[in-house]
Amino acid sequence: MDSISDGIKMDDSFYQIININQLTDETFSINLPKARFSFKAGQHISVGIYGNHQSREYSIYSGANDEHLEILVKEVENGHFTPRLRKLKPGRLLEVHGPFGRFGLSPEAAADGKFVFIASGTGIAPFRSMIRSFPELDYTLIHGVRYAKEAYDRNEYASDRYVLCTSQDAKGNYQGRLTGYLKNCQFHPETQFYLCGNSNMIFDAVEILKEKGFERDQIHCEVYF
Amino acid sequence: MKYHLITLGCQMNLSDSERVSAVLEGMGYIRTENEDEANLLGILACSVRQKPIDKIYNKIAQWNKWKNSRNLLTFVSGCLLPADREKFLKSFDLIFQMSELASLPQMIRDYGIVTPAGLKQPQPVMPKNEHITEMWHIKPKYQSTYEAFVPIQNGCDKFCTFCAVPYTRGREVSRPSAEILAEVRELVQNGYKSITLLGQNVNSYGLDKEGSEINFARLLSQIGEFGKTSAEEFWVYFTSPHPQDMNREVIEVIAAYDCLAKQIHLPMQSGDERVLIKMNRRHSMEKYRRIVSDIRELIPNATLFTDIIVGFTSEGEEEFQNTVAAMDEFRFNMAYIAMYSPRPGAASYRWENEVSPEIKKERLQRLSEVMRIHSKEYNETLIGKTLKVLVNGTDRKTGFSTGLTEGKLILRLNRKDDTLMGKIVEVKVTSASDLSLSGEVES
Repeated sequence: MDSISDGIKMDDSFYQIININQLTDETFSINLPKARFSFKAGQHISVGIYGNHQSREYSIYSGANDEHLEILVKEVENGHFTPRLRKLKPGRLLEVHGPFGRFGLSPEAAADGKFVFIASGTGIAPFRSMIRSFPELDYTLIHGVRYAKEAYDRNEYASDRYVLCTSQDAKGNYQGRLTGYLKNCQFHPETQFYLCGNSNMIFDAVEILKEKGFERDQIHCEVYF
Repeated sequence: MKYHLITLGCQMNLSDSERVSAVLEGMGYIRTENEDEANLLGILACSVRQKPIDKIYNKIAQWNKWKNSRNLLTFVSGCLLPADREKFLKSFDLIFQMSELASLPQMIRDYGIVTPAGLKQPQPVMPKNEHITEMWHIKPKYQSTYEAFVPIQNGCDKFCTFCAVPYTRGREVSRPSAEILAEVRELVQNGYKSITLLGQNVNSYGLDKEGSEINFARLLSQIGEFGKTSAEEFWVYFTSPHPQDMNREVIEVIAAYDCLAKQIHLPMQSGDERVLIKMNRRHSMEKYRRIVSDIRELIPNATLFTDIIVGFTSEGEEEFQNTVAAMDEFRFNMAYIAMYSPRPGAASYRWENEVSPEIKKERLQRLSEVMRIHSKEYNETLIGKTLKVLVNGTDRKTGFSTGLTEGKLILRLNRKDDTLMGKIVEVKVTSASDLSLSGEVES
C-alpha cells in the first residue's frame, strides 16, 4: 500500500512512478513497480493520473516476469492526457486497472507456433511484452515507423528477427511503408499474424495477408486509433 | 416508507432492479410508481447512450429541489462511467455499485456518514467486480409472474472501441452454475414460461474461471436436461452472445433440447470487415457467416436477431453497403439498429466522429427498410401455420391480446382472455406484416 499523506490509505490500484524514459521527442516509456496482478503478454491496462479523472488504455510494454510494469506512450500534441503524463515526476501516483483484453498468446501456442508481429509506431508495445515473456518464441517482428530513431529498444531484438521499415529515412532495413515490405514477403502457411497500431495500416495489412492466402482466423488485430 | 425506482437501459439493468427491489422491500420499503409519495428515490443508470444520462441529471435536479419541502433520500447505481459517477457524488445521497448491493441496507441505516461529504477516500475509477457474486445471492423480486431474467455473468472483457461497458460494469465474472440452475428450476416450478439468461457476453460464461466452472454450452445442456424431466413447458433464451465465443457446440445444444428457445440474438454491429476491425469486434465476417450457416443447418426454424450500429467513425458509403449486403445475406427477423453515439470512456470517443447525424439517420432508415422487407417475407411464410405463443399483454385493439412466439415474433391474438395471460397457447397464423403476425387461438 502506498500512502500520500497521513490518514489517507491508497488502494492497490495506485502505483508510484519509478522513472520516465524519453525515447524520442514524442515518445516515452513509464516504469512502475512490478504489477500487482498477473497478466498475459499482449494485454492492456487502464492508466489514470491521480487527481485527474481521465484515463487511457495502454498495452503493457514489459514482459510478464519483468521487474517493473512498463507502458509505452506517444505524446499527442495538444492532447489532454499524454502531455500531463510526460511531465509527471518519479514518485507521482498513477491509477492502474487491468489487465484487459485477449490480444495475446497462450503458452502452448507460444511454444509451438510461428508468429509474425506487425506493428506501426507504439503498436510495438504488446509484441515487446510477448517477446520478453516467451524467450524461445519463433517470431518475426516487422515494425513500421517514419524515422529509424522511432525504433524503440531496437537492440533488444535479434537482428534476424526484427525488420525496421522507415517511411521517411533510409536508416531501416526497408525504406518505405511496412505494407510495401509485407507484399514481397513469404511466410510459412501456418503462421499466426498479430497486427497492432493504426487502423489504416491494419486494414491494408489484413488485405495483403488475405491476398497471400492466409485465413482471417490466422490474423489477429489490435487497433489503437 | 415508500420507494420509487427508475430503471434505464437494458435487460441487465432490469434484472438488477429486481434485486434492488428485493433488498428494499426486505427492509420494509413499499414500492410506489408515484415518485411524489416516495421517501426513497433511486435510479439504475445506463451510460451506453447520452440520453439516459441527461434524464438522470434532470431527475436529480428536480428531486433535490423537493428536498426543500420533503425528507428524501436519493441513490443511483447501475452502469456509470467514472466521470458521471464523480458528478453524481455531488448530487445523489448514495451511490453504489451492484456488487455492493448487499450493503445497501447498512448504507441507508448509516445515512449521514456515507454521504458524498463523508467520502474522504479516493473512489476507484474502475468498478470492482469481485463481490458481484454476493449480489447474485439476493433473491430478486420478479416483475412478472411468467417471464424472468436470470443473470449468469456480469461485466465485459471485450473492449469494443464504441462501448464503455467494461468501464461501467468491470471484468467478466461468471455466476456459479449451481445457483443459475437452482434459480431456473425454481422459476419453472413457479410457473415461469420465458426465462432469459443475461450477461454482457453470455457465451463467454465460465471462461473467467479457467476450468473450474462449466462453459456456456454445458450450462445450456444442463438446463436442457432439466427441461426434459420437467412436466412444465418453458422457453429459455439468452442475451447477448458475442460472435467471438459463439461455436457450433452451443448451436448443437440448442437444437437438441425443446426448452432451449429457437431464437438467437447474434450482434453483428457491421457487415464491413474494416469497420469490425476498427470496432475491435474480434470476429470477422467469415466467422459470423460460419455461425449463421451452422444455425441455419442445425436449427432451420430458428429466428435470428441482431444489433447493428450505423455511422460508426470512418463508415463510408462503401462500408455501409457491405452492411446492407450482409442484411440481405442473413435475412434477420429483427435488427436493433442504432446510430453511432460516441460515449465518454470508450476508445472511439477520442476519434473523429466523421459521419454526420443526417447521414446516420438516413442509413438507419435505409437499413430498417431492408430489415422490414426480409422480416415481412419470413412472416408471410408462417401464414396458415400453427405456432406456440406466450400470451403477454392486451392489444391496443379492443378484444385482442398480444403474445410472443418461441422465436420472439410479436403476434396479435383474436381473443382477449385474462386467463390466457402468461400461458403458452397454440395459435394459427392468419396474417402477417413486416413486424408482427396475427392469429386465432386454437387451444
